[in-house]
Amino acid sequence: MSDRFIEAFFTAYPQYSIPIDLLLLIGIFIFIKLPKEKKRNIHFLLPFVILCFSVFYQNLGSYTNYNYEFKKSVNAYFGNTEYPKFNLWLFNIAERQVGTILYLMLIKSYIRPFKRKIINWMIFIFIVTALVLQFSGIEPIYLNQPIIFAIGANMILFGCALYFTDLITHPSYLNRNPLRLTSFWQMTAIIFMFTLSYISSVALIYLYEVNPVLGSVLQSIGIYLGILTLAVLTISIASPLLPNIFDKEPF
Amino acid sequence: MNPTEDQIYVIIFSTLFLGGLMSTFVIAMVFIHRQRQAQNKQKLEQIKSEHEKTLLNIENEIQQETLTYVGRELHDNIGQLLSLAKLYLGSAKPEKQTEGKETINQVISEVRALSKNLNLDWVESISIEEFISQQLKKIESTGYCNTTLESEFELGELPKDQKLVLIRVIQEILNNAIKHASPDMISVRIWKDENLKKIELKDNGKGFDPSLESSGSGMFNLKKRMETIGGDISITSSPGNGTLIHLLLPN
Repeated sequence: MSDRFIEAFFTAYPQYSIPIDLLLLIGIFIFIKLPKEKKRNIHFLLPFVILCFSVFYQNLGSYTNYNYEFKKSVNAYFGNTEYPKFNLWLFNIAERQVGTILYLMLIKSYIRPFKRKIINWMIFIFIVTALVLQFSGIEPIYLNQPIIFAIGANMILFGCALYFTDLITHPSYLNRNPLRLTSFWQMTAIIFMFTLSYISSVALIYLYEVNPVLGSVLQSIGIYLGILTLAVLTISIASPLLPNIFDKEPF
Repeated sequence: MNPTEDQIYVIIFSTLFLGGLMSTFVIAMVFIHRQRQAQNKQKLEQIKSEHEKTLLNIENEIQQETLTYVGRELHDNIGQLLSLAKLYLGSAKPEKQTEGKETINQVISEVRALSKNLNLDWVESISIEEFISQQLKKIESTGYCNTTLESEFELGELPKDQKLVLIRVIQEILNNAIKHASPDMISVRIWKDENLKKIELKDNGKGFDPSLESSGSGMFNLKKRMETIGGDISITSSPGNGTLIHLLLPN
């Protein structure tokens, strides 16, 4: 293993790459241990998919930093010859687009059936808007995409609001203790992650120019909330094995 | 303080504000959930107590009716048979003595049959179809009017509380028809419409105006009773045009 490889995968961002790799290993181990019917249950399958997908694209990001030629050729494929060192295309596709859709699907699985149609429409509108903005050149895939991020984050926050309204109105939720529901902790983590990402997306580049220390603190908040969300998802996968701590989801 | 410092403070303040806002939101949701949970519990207890009260009332009413029926039977039937038996047994003729013993045997079987009616266990042993059939036969045997029963599907075994309410409601509807409508024909149909189990009770009697207050209170009572078991009632009637009642059974 070369030094560059170790740096790209482990030492460049050790506070992020090592915890998420560990979470993935724990997640895979727990998921294997789950009974068959639980593995097919969307409340455990989807958090597992999100966990695997998030760790996969973070490692792919590390790989693009290790294999510069690969990154450069993908950038060239998307028409970006000006900034060959950027791997924003990966972040845009994985986190801002596919990630948003996966989180919306996760929220959808916890809300009452008639509200699920709203989330279906939101996913459809999000996909169409993202494609239009990208193909029209308004927000190229290889540059920062604030509009797509803002639409996605707003939809996720709206989805979380739908969940919380169900939590305080639906009899199935009212019969349960929210602190014993993994969905409650997932929504709380998601709501914090996306709210604080707003500030990061607006102010990060500016802060790095004028006050790099504060910029890095702000970025760390986003990173730690990302780890926290993945940790909550890992615990959600493990929840059937912890019946004394967590209750069954009503939907 | 220069403009750059101002902007940094704004960013710090915004981050703290949004973080605080989200924390407050989540904590508020938990508190509202607790509050609503308590309200919901209280409401459920109230519904349960109302349900129990209704059932108790219905049991009392059925017992009252049963006692009236038993009293009538004792006076009109068993009393007569015993008087006859006394006469036969008082005679010196052996054939009269034999007839007297047979009458006593008849009295014993009549008393046995009556004793079964004294508690509500018969409710469990009888199906709704059988009950309706018995009631219609009783009406026909008085020569009051003709009756028909059409059962398109089996209602199956219903829980005792549902059965009690249905029996009482059907009894009330048939009594009302006989008392107030003077019909020539009463027909009952049991059928299923798009997964909804229905009992249709139709008479060609005088009919009435359901919007009138005098008839409304009785109907309201029937409706309330059906609602306690998760069912419903719909009444269509007008003066001179008979009455059509649909009982919608809970699924």
